[in-house]
Amino acid sequence: MVSITLACLFQVLMAHAQQTALDLDGRPVNPFTIAAGKVVVLVFLRQDCPVSSRYAPVIRRISAQYSREASFWLVYPDRSETPQSIRKYLGDYGYRLPALRDPDRALVQQARAEITPEAAVFDRNRQLVYHGRIDNWYLEFGRARPAPTTHELNNAIQAALTGKPLPQSSVKGVGCYISDLQ
Amino acid sequence: MNSWWRAWMRWTLVLAAAAGMGSVFSRANPRPREQARQTAPQVTFNRDIAPIIFGACASCHQPGEAGPFPLLTYEEVKRHARQIAEVTRARTMPPWLPEPQELRLADEMRLADAQIRTIQEWAEDGSVEGDPADLPPPPRPAEGWRLGKPDLILTAERPLVLAPTGTDTYWNFIFHVPITETRWVKAVEIHPGDKRYVHHANILVDRSRSSRHKEAEPGAGFGGMEIRIESQVFDPDSHMLFWKPGTVPSVEPDGMALRLDKGTDLILNTHMQPSGKTEIIQPSIGLYFTSKPATKFPMLLQLEDDAKLNIPPEQRNFVVTDEFTLPTDVELLAIYPHAHYLGKDIQAFATLPDGSKKTLIHILHWNLSWQAVYRYAQPVLLPKGTTIALRYVYDNSDENPLNPNHPPVRVKAGNRSSDEMCHLWLQVLPVNYDRAQGDPRMRLQEALARHDVANDPRDFEAHYNLAAMEQAKGRLDDATKEYEAALQLRPGDAVANNAMGAALLAAGRPEKAVPYLSQALKTRPDYLEAHYNLGTAYSAESDFEDAAQQLHLVLQLQPDDADAEANLGSALAEMGRFPEAKSHFERALQINPNHSLAKENLEELQRQMSDR
Repeated sequence: MVSITLACLFQVLMAHAQQTALDLDGRPVNPFTIAAGKVVVLVFLRQDCPVSSRYAPVIRRISAQYSREASFWLVYPDRSETPQSIRKYLGDYGYRLPALRDPDRALVQQARAEITPEAAVFDRNRQLVYHGRIDNWYLEFGRARPAPTTHELNNAIQAALTGKPLPQSSVKGVGCYISDLQ
Repeated sequence: MNSWWRAWMRWTLVLAAAAGMGSVFSRANPRPREQARQTAPQVTFNRDIAPIIFGACASCHQPGEAGPFPLLTYEEVKRHARQIAEVTRARTMPPWLPEPQELRLADEMRLADAQIRTIQEWAEDGSVEGDPADLPPPPRPAEGWRLGKPDLILTAERPLVLAPTGTDTYWNFIFHVPITETRWVKAVEIHPGDKRYVHHANILVDRSRSSRHKEAEPGAGFGGMEIRIESQVFDPDSHMLFWKPGTVPSVEPDGMALRLDKGTDLILNTHMQPSGKTEIIQPSIGLYFTSKPATKFPMLLQLEDDAKLNIPPEQRNFVVTDEFTLPTDVELLAIYPHAHYLGKDIQAFATLPDGSKKTLIHILHWNLSWQAVYRYAQPVLLPKGTTIALRYVYDNSDENPLNPNHPPVRVKAGNRSSDEMCHLWLQVLPVNYDRAQGDPRMRLQEALARHDVANDPRDFEAHYNLAAMEQAKGRLDDATKEYEAALQLRPGDAVANNAMGAALLAAGRPEKAVPYLSQALKTRPDYLEAHYNLGTAYSAESDFEDAAQQLHLVLQLQPDDADAEANLGSALAEMGRFPEAKSHFERALQINPNHSLAKENLEELQRQMSDR
């Protein structure tokens, strides 16, 4: 009984903190209260980060693979990116996922995201299971493997779905630092 | 048979055997101003960082250039401050692979240690903007053609649609050069399409349209990382026409212009990376002409030892070495090392006759993505007897993250990106030579061909090139022996069969030439040169009916071929079909008013017609 109460309280507090994420029409959106019962995946992106952009087909593929079990959101933490420019970007890169602007970095903080691209996976209880790189495709800027050999995002979603623990709850990736943004 | 009839002969050599030629036209990146450590406590953008960024980064990091984001203002730089600190510390940016060396390279894009420290400090201390009065002017925007409006702009007939995802793409665009007479090119400016996605591009000069048959349909272009260009006569490649991000074209020194003849194709070999969305890549090339013909003739030497590339899986340090001793004095102008994804540590050095040893290039962390042609700041004199050595180390283990095979497999030499290569191209200018001894480039080419045959008796191209050298020198017996050796390795090869046929023709043995030429056409039915040579062989055997048929085929494939018109006229004249012969001689002279054979034969024909 006690643990259930605590979990509810936690959710209420989080919901309050998330008021600042906005959809592309400027409405506050809480990705955690939508699609209850699903795992939540936030993917942090930035238009002027080429590594972010090159991941578009990968993100589209994984989100399609888990469309029943996980709710995917693209999150744009850069205040200078307008809804119009984000809409164009979504079209250019063939995304059909909902996008959020996070000008106050509420989701960035919750996900402890540091760079773009970075993924954060929350289980059905809205606990952060993993945040970090999508896979090990990039070694450093301008140096990528022909194909990734580890698949952290996929493993994290599996872990969130099954409750099995992950070896690492965070793996640093290659990308552009969110803290450099205004 | 009338004695007045003569035919012109042509044959085919393969001299430039691989891709990846790069250019003399590389980048004049202004060297960043040296940063003295300031006594002032705080590093600021305006005073300390802007001069470094504007000098070393902004040439690419500006709209329309290769850099994925601009770095022209404080706000733009601050948005990437930690990233810039990281990539400069790791020396991944600016992209410059060679280690510092005594023989200075031109346009070096290497930051000084002090500059890197300054950037770290700035990013750590909050990326402060500073006093606006300290800000230097931003670099001039690099728009349009850097060298002004080109004399001739060629645009790829059909763009490449680059898929959003997948591995790196290697694509070749063929540009037909619409010139009606020989022109001299003093500069080439490559606009690779979209500089953000094209990683490098280089032009190969195809003097005999030998690549067109690789296109699925005309104008379509063709895939492939490494390509082979055939050449008609001894006319070795001379220039490395290379583009990589940051390259700004430069004008060739006086006397070193590139010759372009009518009918020449330029092949743009490009390396692209998918961006995440579909991209349309349509390159163009700007040509700048000069009225001054070439008086200096550099050539490209290719050292390779692909035969030794047989790398077992999990081998972490597979070493390949090769040595070549110069048969004549040269000035080394530029160098272009080339390996694929297993290449790790790449070195070339020269041991001079006095025993002194000089590093020509040393790349400790090879990265194909940033491969480049490096020009020397000053020409490097390498006297006759100098030994040029290469030492390439390959890592075929799983620890090499760029290994295209996971798990690793045995890797040999080849043209696919998952194969390996061990190539070193040198642009050299022969100097101090005795004209009486002939073209020094031929001596270099022959020495290289002998070296390659000795390295690998199973090297088809080495035998072929050696044969071509013997043939060019008129040593036809030696030439046919080497062609035979080449054909034992690849019996069906169209180019080698054609060349063997041409050598036998030149040796006055047309009856022996016919089977080789027929084999060449069996392999490649639209092989213009083989039709031409077969026509010549039939003529020499007085089989003028078949000769005329072959020459008609040549003219179907290449309607403006003056030699074929002239020879067809000759064959028809032999058969007594004078009016037809006359029209073909006239057509030859229409194409080339100075065609001496057509002129002589036409005059002779008119005499004979008036005698009747």
